[in-house]
Amino acid sequence: ADINLTISSWLPPAHPINVDMLEGLIDMMEQATDGKVSGEIKLGLAPPPAQMDLILDGAADITILFNGYQPGRFIATKLIELPGYQGSAEAASVAYWRAHEQFLAKADEFKGTKVIALTTHGPGQIHSNKPVKTLADLNGLKTRLGGGVSADVGAELGLVGIQVPAPKVYETLSSGAADAVAMNMGERLSFKLNEVAKNVYEMPGGFYRGAFAVLMSQEKFDSLPDDVKTALEEKVFGEPASKMMGIAWDKSDDDARAATLAAGDNTIVTASEEDQAKFAEMAERVRAKVLAEISDLGIDAQAAHDMVAETMASYGK
Amino acid sequence: MPIAFAMGVVGMVGMTYETGFRAAISLVSRLIIDTSQDYGLSVVPLFILMGLFVNKGGISRELYQVSNAFLGHFRGGLAMATIAACGGFAAICGSSLATAATMSKVVMPEMRKLGYSDELSSASIAAGGTLGILIPPSVILVIYGLLTETSIGKLFIAGIIPGILGILFYLVAVQISVYRNPDAGPAGRRFSFSEKMAALRGVWSVLLLFFLVIGGLYGALDFWPIHLTFSPTEAAGMGAMGAFLIALFRGSLTVRETLTVLKETAGTTAQLFSVLIGAWIFSNFVNYAGLPESLKEMIVSAELSPWLVITVIILIYVALGCVFESLSMLLLTVPIFFPIVTGLGFDAVWFGIVVVVVTEISLITPPVGLNVFILRSVVGDISVATIFKGVTPFWMMDIVRLLILVLFPWLVLVLPSQM
Amino acid sequence: MKSIARLLHRLSELPMLLAAATLFVLMVLTFADVIMRSTFSAPIEAATELTRIAMAVIVFSALPVISGRAEHIVVDLLDPLFHRAGVERVLDGLITLACGVLLVWPALRCFDLADRARSYGDLTEYLAIPVHYITWFIAFMTLITAAAMALRGVVTLFKPDLLGGARD
Ligand code: NA
Ligand code: NA
Repeated sequence: ADINLTISSWLPPAHPINVDMLEGLIDMMEQATDGKVSGEIKLGLAPPPAQMDLILDGAADITILFNGYQPGRFIATKLIELPGYQGSAEAASVAYWRAHEQFLAKADEFKGTKVIALTTHGPGQIHSNKPVKTLADLNGLKTRLGGGVSADVGAELGLVGIQVPAPKVYETLSSGAADAVAMNMGERLSFKLNEVAKNVYEMPGGFYRGAFAVLMSQEKFDSLPDDVKTALEEKVFGEPASKMMGIAWDKSDDDARAATLAAGDNTIVTASEEDQAKFAEMAERVRAKVLAEISDLGIDAQAAHDMVAETMASYGK
Repeated sequence: MPIAFAMGVVGMVGMTYETGFRAAISLVSRLIIDTSQDYGLSVVPLFILMGLFVNKGGISRELYQVSNAFLGHFRGGLAMATIAACGGFAAICGSSLATAATMSKVVMPEMRKLGYSDELSSASIAAGGTLGILIPPSVILVIYGLLTETSIGKLFIAGIIPGILGILFYLVAVQISVYRNPDAGPAGRRFSFSEKMAALRGVWSVLLLFFLVIGGLYGALDFWPIHLTFSPTEAAGMGAMGAFLIALFRGSLTVRETLTVLKETAGTTAQLFSVLIGAWIFSNFVNYAGLPESLKEMIVSAELSPWLVITVIILIYVALGCVFESLSMLLLTVPIFFPIVTGLGFDAVWFGIVVVVVTEISLITPPVGLNVFILRSVVGDISVATIFKGVTPFWMMDIVRLLILVLFPWLVLVLPSQM
Repeated sequence: MKSIARLLHRLSELPMLLAAATLFVLMVLTFADVIMRSTFSAPIEAATELTRIAMAVIVFSALPVISGRAEHIVVDLLDPLFHRAGVERVLDGLITLACGVLLVWPALRCFDLADRARSYGDLTEYLAIPVHYITWFIAFMTLITAAAMALRGVVTLFKPDLLGGARD
């Protein structure tokens, strides 16, 4: 390739973000530009919260952020993390991108960079090493939360927050220093949760979702030849890449669910109708709080929320 | 030249070559900011603090007294007692330098009084001190664990058997030394049974702290309904607090002394962190330049046998260990070798112990052996050459131990596999 | 000159006291967190971020002091060579000065990064402490470290007698 972009990632080598999503992005860029643009993934250049600096200072060309790792910086994007939406990660990622275009970009939370894809993992559930049968069982559970909306939901559920970086989740759960972790189903494979968190307590639509953003150095993008820019903008960046990532999340969730059911000693408990109704009330409170935060940025948060819900509900139909 | 700056500057120049000055200086700054706030690294000051508090409680002397009561009457007995006491001190102190420095103040005068040769007495302390990073807790194992995302708890537990093996082999080295030169270590007096028992009573605090820290890491402190399990940082915090309370309880700690200990720990922490940051900058460059991948590809394409590769890596370590400062050696090489070694199917915990054993060796091999240097500076009237001469049988036994651990990985892995 | 050196030495006790106090707090905090979690299932949720802040305070309070006192870990194979040639002091002074000067760039960039954290509104997770305070502290103390090393370098070169009396 004429242009080889350095893509920074902080996730474990075999994580779907690396092997499916970022590699998928490279494939899409190669195809769209007839091989003129390619990319190379570099692991461990900087810790997660420093990823945006890598882009701003030209140490890498593309990176992926987990917004929840930077409290205070990303408020508007919490919109997609809210509980209550029904639908796949694919639908959510597409809706996220559209909502960003139409509403959220105004807050300019990724300022100085070029946003090339937005995605969210599938519904976030509670994985525990103690049996959890009802919503009430969650009260007092020492749980690793990922930041963002998951922290607000955790407070409603009565979870006790434990802060550990993702690679330490296995150790923390196996030693009993934590009882549970909040993650999407797919991470059961990435973090070997089938061994240390044999119980999944599942809320249809999830307790929360987790927002990711793929950013490119604006400077690097500007330096590309015009035909390449056009090809990338039309065929890769934005909705196509976001959708591709959402599909990869859904696939990882499906794989993990199958592996969990096949493990024999793992159980997946789905919340009862009654508990779903109880959680809907909690979700309502979280939604009101977060939408108020987003409204404070001068965004019509309610309209944005309704647009996401609507897009997801009608997605693929 | 400060080693931190040497590595930092080389890394910075390399990064500038790879990505340009603006990106390089930004990466360096981020490393300065992020390394100092790394949660995992908070075990470092806490374990250092634990060792210093424990020492204020007079534990190093008691450890020596009990070892002497049991071993002193043999030929070379005081040197053997030194090794055993170092092993005991290593169980509460995470650093080899601190172990050597502490024990030298206690045992060097005693051995001289009994007519031990400077060679043997200094060598037994320098070598015994290296056990500090193998027998848990260990700052080096913590850093290896953080670098490679290997469980620090498992690494600690894995260090126990090789550490005991280390003590036994050093005892053999003492015997070799006195066999070659019987005047080097005359036998001391024999202690009565009641004297031995009295001496034993002095070491309860070491045992208590060791079981608190290691038991907590192991998840073995299960006193229903209270179940204590610690992360490494928590184990270090509990150990430091425990050591503080023991020293306080024994009435050997004033406010002024507490302050001195805290300040000394802070100073050592800053020293270590600047080396860490410097090495991180350098290894960031190595990572950026893609050296580990290129090496890996080379090995894969040459179809070398895993055992040949591991042998070569160990030989490189022993050679580097002669001339390199130990911590920097570890920080510079592990990011390169770890992916290769685990890629070949070797166990990450096992490799961590192997790396620590070669690091131990590096501490006492000429021309750069930090334990030898530290002893030289603490004792004063002794030459580096004398210590290096005396320590030769010790690092030779280390090589034998290394060989055994490489041939029988079971010795390393049996305890952590129970966790 | 002597009195300035003594004053600097005395002044350097302040950051060391801050580091010592923070370390003690860190120890007690970790202990309390474990006890609270194990006995009451109520860990101190902010312990992790407080630990991180405490670490930065300990390291960067002590760093200028150990740098000014030339207590960095040094390994030099070539030392004996220069010792004989009698240029040891000059070399030492030059290197220390160079280290101080080189440190100015990252120090200034750390200020930029602090500024960036402020402009993005970064906060800590539980206590919502603005991240740029911590980054700014690190930047400032790195700059002080640079100054301390440069000063020590200059003194080593031109006024070596000052180093003995009151270690700067
Ligand atoms: Na130790
Ligand atoms: Na050596």
